[in-house]
Amino acid sequence: MKAETKKIALDGLWRNNPIGIQVLGICSTLAVTNLVANTLVMCAALIFTVSFSSATVSILRQLTPRNIRMMVETLIMAFYVIIVDVLLKAYWPEMSRSLGPYVGLIITNCIVMGRCEAYGIANPPGRAFLDGLFQALGYTCILLLIAAFREILGMGTFLGWPVPFFSGPHWDKWIILVMPPGAFFVLGILLWIFRTIQFRKEKTRP
Amino acid sequence: MIREKRWFPILYMFLVTFFFSTLIIGFSRFTGQRVEANRQLAFESAVLSVLPDWSLRPASRSEIHRLFHERIRPPDSATAGAYTMLQNGEILAYILPVSGQGFWAPIHGVIGLQPDGRTVTGIAFYEQNETPGLGAEIAKESFRQQFSGLRIAEEGPPLRIKRPDAALEKNEVHAVTGATQTSTRLEKIINAALAQWRQQKSGAAAEKQDETR
Repeated sequence: MKAETKKIALDGLWRNNPIGIQVLGICSTLAVTNLVANTLVMCAALIFTVSFSSATVSILRQLTPRNIRMMVETLIMAFYVIIVDVLLKAYWPEMSRSLGPYVGLIITNCIVMGRCEAYGIANPPGRAFLDGLFQALGYTCILLLIAAFREILGMGTFLGWPVPFFSGPHWDKWIILVMPPGAFFVLGILLWIFRTIQFRKEKTRP
Repeated sequence: MIREKRWFPILYMFLVTFFFSTLIIGFSRFTGQRVEANRQLAFESAVLSVLPDWSLRPASRSEIHRLFHERIRPPDSATAGAYTMLQNGEILAYILPVSGQGFWAPIHGVIGLQPDGRTVTGIAFYEQNETPGLGAEIAKESFRQQFSGLRIAEEGPPLRIKRPDAALEKNEVHAVTGATQTSTRLEKIINAALAQWRQQKSGAAAEKQDETR
């Protein structure tokens, strides 16, 4: 079990990273990464949704008829997303307002469906949960990197706090990074670096 | 086996949907009141935050709610749609709701005005979905504080939002750097509301004079 957990963790965070390798969930990557605080909450919501959806799909996997499994999966995902959405609206209205429609749009994040289909439907609940957790964590790492770049270079702040030099008069803020196109540039550069490192490793492997 | 039956998928889908929907409905019943209260509270605290009186900056949720109901009177025909703050029967401030289409979604806010109807005491937004880090900065203190003390122009547009490096008149503020679209729309929203309010209010005042005559 321990070796299995390690393999799942490594897959999610690095070897099969949902953004770096699978290039899934890009729409939300572009939309919510201009402030680190928003990104954190969004990623927490995604971690919750992916891990629990995948586990629930796994619990029901013996019962669910194959021809309607996608409908059932979508329903389960929607269930968890609505719970997150309602929780935010009730207990953290400011954050809910600043994330706007993006929480509800987690349903359409391909990573959720991807993990349910690729892993949850064929593995026991415990492992499905872990797989979802680490895949979402892999997503979180990349998103936080992008968000940090965008917020610091674009606004001169980190988590809302002014960063020395970047918030000063000598730094001309890169407004383009705060706008959606800015995310494309940062994501493109990060993917480039990520893949270069990974392919080099693969070549050196015997 | 029941699983081999042709109608099984239909039954199964029905049962699964029923189960999860029941949970969701129960859950949103449980939190529904709180969600509604949050919405109301966002409006109430926006109203209180534009008042000239600094002692009215309450901290807790219940205090905001209590103060709002104690001090603020809902709009009537004489105030032309504006809320008022009263003390001993005298109007201390008008609070005018403004709303309109922003860059992404509607912007809803309130503007506080002194009894003369020309001096702005503050502005606040309780619902907006502008670009985080750009347009959304209009909801931050640094942008909003520019409004207190503005004098609304008698002629032309009542207020103006100018480029961040422009020189300012008494009815002008600086826009958020880079938030051109939000600023243009916000200026339009504010000016439309102010112009309409002034027109309606002078209409209401004239009517009142007719009655007393």
